[in-house]
Amino acid sequence: MSSRRSSRGAISEEEINELMSKLQSLLPNSRRRGSSQASTTKLLKETCSYIKSLHREVDDLSDRLSDLMSTMDHNSAEAEIIRGLLRS
Amino acid sequence: MAHCGGGQAASVESHFQGLLDDDDKYRALCGAFGYLQQQEWPDLSGACYSAFGAPPPPGAATQATSNGAGNSFTCSGSASSGGGSAKRKPDAYVDAKDDCKRPRGKQQLCDPGEAGGAAKGRPEKPKACARKKPEPAAAGQKTDYIHVRARRGQATDSHSLAERVRRERISERMRYLQELVPGCDKVTGKAGMLDEIINYVQSLQKQVEFLSMKIAASNPVVNFNIVDDLFGGRRMNQACGPAAALPAMTLPMHQGQLDPSCLQMSSATMQQMQQPAAGFGLDMLVSSSYPAAQSAPPAAAATPVSMSASATASVDSCLDVNGAAAWDIASQHLFSGFDAQFQSVQSDCLLDNLKMEL
Repeated sequence: MSSRRSSRGAISEEEINELMSKLQSLLPNSRRRGSSQASTTKLLKETCSYIKSLHREVDDLSDRLSDLMSTMDHNSAEAEIIRGLLRS
Repeated sequence: MAHCGGGQAASVESHFQGLLDDDDKYRALCGAFGYLQQQEWPDLSGACYSAFGAPPPPGAATQATSNGAGNSFTCSGSASSGGGSAKRKPDAYVDAKDDCKRPRGKQQLCDPGEAGGAAKGRPEKPKACARKKPEPAAAGQKTDYIHVRARRGQATDSHSLAERVRRERISERMRYLQELVPGCDKVTGKAGMLDEIINYVQSLQKQVEFLSMKIAASNPVVNFNIVDDLFGGRRMNQACGPAAALPAMTLPMHQGQLDPSCLQMSSATMQQMQQPAAGFGLDMLVSSSYPAAQSAPPAAAATPVSMSASATASVDSCLDVNGAAAWDIASQHLFSGFDAQFQSVQSDCLLDNLKMEL
């Protein structure tokens, strides 16, 4: 049983570790911890909370942007610029 | 079957009373048999033989095997409850465990260490001990035993127990992430899921950057700060590195100092991302460029200022003289010369020019 698991795990273990470190580098506090490999559980937990915080941020920014757009004069120069930026 | 069970149980009890000198164990055994009698086991002797790992007579063996997990489960359950205060996990997981626990639960009766482990209340413990002492079970029993264990991938020693707990926790998190990340349920395998999660996090980060950039662009003050930051970044690079810091690299490099994972976005958006609590205040962003400017040695500072001046000159028509002069005057008070009517149009032109330069 253990041999089967290890043989199966040997292939994917490496790439999973690679993906894990990649994921860790995406997290905002990964630099603070340096190169120390956090446990997988902790990493996944942080990923969960980070994704949630990103969701919140996106929502917040979207709200703010829509507020700004709604309060803006559509013929103004600013609106033109934003439209150009949004297009780009 | 209860009618024959009683007689058989009596004989078996006396048989094992000789074998077991420990009172507790004997009591546990009796408890187990009492339970068995209530449960109307078809063949008690077969159960008892299998319980003690002794090769049962052929008929008994087949019967015990064919009876399957239901009987085994009963036996192990009663054995551990009689043997001590073995606690169970209150979830459905227990059933699967007890299923495989059968041979170990019986061994528990024979093994004092085993009983102690059960009394500690750790449900996995008996299994850990059971593997160390392989029991000479009948052939039918043995295959069943191994089959179940292999199928469940049950833990064997304390290390793999801890490992299993860890794996459970990880897969729980993975399930949670699967819910969180759209499209993650379509991919199979941990690697694919991680890939998907990474992509999703990256796309979210980009989205946040993009949104904050749009907001920055829609707000004149913040737009002003984009320019400020561009120059701040340029100055920082020029101060830190030789002229080899190519203009094309300035913006990404500046961002790289803040966050290596970020992409070709405005550095102002990065600042907003990293200090989400802070407002878009002019002071915050301007002051953030000060350290860079101050850290620049006078000689190095001269170059960026002149570059700034040239950049300003290219949009000279948009800027008033004060603004152009401000670029030249001081790296510390870059924008103090700009009047309050610094329009987003102007700054945007400036930004565009900068982009062209970059």
